[in-house]
Amino acid sequence: MVTVELYGVPRLRAGASRVEVPAGTLASILHALASILPGLVPDIVHDGRLTEHALVAVDGREIVADPTLPIADGTVLVLISAAAGG
Amino acid sequence: MRGNFGRILLVELRGDRVAVEHVALPEAAYHAFVGGVGLGAYLLWRFAPAGVDPLAPEAPLVYAFSPLLGTPLTTTAKFAVLCKSPLTGRISDGLSSSRFALAAKRLGVDALVIRGALDRLGWLHLDEDPAACRVEPCPAWAGLSAHELSDMAAKQGLFRHVSAIGPAGEAQIRYATISNDGRHAGRGGAGAVLGAKRVKAISVRGAAVAGVADAASVQVRARDLAARSAGAATEKYRALGTAANLETFDRLRILPRRNFQTVSIGQAAARRLAPEGLARAGEHVRDSCAGCTIGCDHRYGGTRIEYETQFALGPLIDVDDPACLLAAAGACDALGLDTISAGGTLAFAMECAERGLVDWPLRFGDDVLPWLRAIARREGAGDLLAEGTRRIAAVIGQGSERFACHVKGLELPGYEPRAMQTFALGLCVACRGADHNRSGAYQADLQAGVDRYRADVARAPARVIEAEDNAALLDSLILCKFLRGAIREPWREGAELLAMVTGVPRGEDDLRRSARRIAAVRHAFNVREGWTLAEDRLPDRFHDEALEDGASLDRADVAAMVDAYHAARGHVPRGGPSERLRRELELDAWLTDAPPLQGPASLG
Ligand code: SF4
Repeated sequence: MVTVELYGVPRLRAGASRVEVPAGTLASILHALASILPGLVPDIVHDGRLTEHALVAVDGREIVADPTLPIADGTVLVLISAAAGG
Repeated sequence: MRGNFGRILLVELRGDRVAVEHVALPEAAYHAFVGGVGLGAYLLWRFAPAGVDPLAPEAPLVYAFSPLLGTPLTTTAKFAVLCKSPLTGRISDGLSSSRFALAAKRLGVDALVIRGALDRLGWLHLDEDPAACRVEPCPAWAGLSAHELSDMAAKQGLFRHVSAIGPAGEAQIRYATISNDGRHAGRGGAGAVLGAKRVKAISVRGAAVAGVADAASVQVRARDLAARSAGAATEKYRALGTAANLETFDRLRILPRRNFQTVSIGQAAARRLAPEGLARAGEHVRDSCAGCTIGCDHRYGGTRIEYETQFALGPLIDVDDPACLLAAAGACDALGLDTISAGGTLAFAMECAERGLVDWPLRFGDDVLPWLRAIARREGAGDLLAEGTRRIAAVIGQGSERFACHVKGLELPGYEPRAMQTFALGLCVACRGADHNRSGAYQADLQAGVDRYRADVARAPARVIEAEDNAALLDSLILCKFLRGAIREPWREGAELLAMVTGVPRGEDDLRRSARRIAAVRHAFNVREGWTLAEDRLPDRFHDEALEDGASLDRADVAAMVDAYHAARGHVPRGGPSERLRRELELDAWLTDAPPLQGPASLG
């Protein structure tokens, strides 16, 4: 399984701060997220892709966007708002 | 040309009197510098004598308005405050929203240039009618916060909108703010400059209207922008405020803690200081600046909290009690202290004390309220702490400069440069010192395909320049940066907005040249005031101490990025604008060495 941690607006929209989804590609994970957390659709996740309003970082480090990227079992994905400014 | 009045107000203070004079500006100046921080940078260059002491009477304080100010366009009720910073000795430009901005533009001028000084604390009233401008001595107002002063003035029917300083400005604390109807022009110490002029408050009265060239188009665009400002791109600001960054940044391990010694406070503490935790410590209310349809102003127990304040008065000084954080933020507001510099200075002082370099009874995690009060009144150790990190390190010595976290004397904002290496370059080269607002290069690090742990000498300079130029555009128009996610093509839209408002057509490329010209004038100002390449660096801590995850910042890589940045900007090695850049941006027409215009004759 892959753990997805949610912060900022994604957490607010989802009403959850952490969920587990089956490992797969980034696209399959986003599809799974959209079905279990419908509040993320369409502004955060749309058609298996992240919108411009959110970013996802593998273990909080590398920000990834390629939908075909394989995400292995045990990985933690961190889903955040794209607007970082303060 | 509409949207502007084509003139500025020169304000000369002496004794307990004021004299004012309208000075015409050529239309070309608006074309070259747009307004806001751009126009203000030009005026600062023009009116500041080279090498002036920032706290001397002859040092100008510039309030610069913008062409969009006064229109129905969302987030435009802002103005820029510029001076030579008493903290850095370099250019300082702050933005502030407020109804004061709207009222001040109705004086019928596009900027105020305030010079001279009063003999004693006074209230400066500026009027559309020059003969009605006056100074009223106000010794009884000494020590009042800007908020107390506004309340009192409203009750007595003296004025409705005010730009004022708190006790810190009066005491010329080098990081004192100017408060404008409750919003602060924060970084760099403009409050100390107004304090040195012994001006406690500025009120304004006027009814002039600059108008717009195409009112129907402006109305349509205003509705469209307001609709976009209510969309997903700005939801974080509306729903949570920038305080939501803290928990995210802790997870990304870019949240500076204990004077930049580490990058995380742990999940439990981060949740305590996050918006939900703050709401448990004080009732949550959302507000907005004048004329804003976003509304990112989140208050807890009456105290406005945004990320930089939360970081600087929380993790940076190792405070994890939301009630303490709110109390410290409220005190900075009331005293008129820049929260980032106050937190940064205290964090440095705490580390010096813990290392035994000074005998101050101050430790990480302490309640800083008494220290903030001592700083604002220059009492005891507060007198030295009022000088900011760089000057304190120079006094303490003993190697403390290594962990004195500033660039050009300005304390660092809340992003860890070892883990954001494009932003590290942005910090080094920013004209006003360690700064997140005049470039926003942190955005470049937080995107797919960028390795934020690597100094990318080939690509980082262009990313920083693009971020700086984008910020110069928004800060000159002036539009709030939190609107940027809702503006897909800022150059095209900026050109359209200017054309609608002023009636003067602008092209995107032409506007980009203005942004580059603004950057060039700011840099030229710094060069004139003594800038050297040696200033464009981070403290040794960031190079010599790796983070727990091994992240470090290579000194040679950063130096190479800085060199590449200046080359890409068109600066001569270790100097100002090159001949080519001067020609390309027609800088010689603006960067003249002519002496500043004389003051109004009526003061003799
Ligand atoms: S978004 Fe926030 S800072 Fe910007 S104008 Fe609106 S309330 Fe003010």
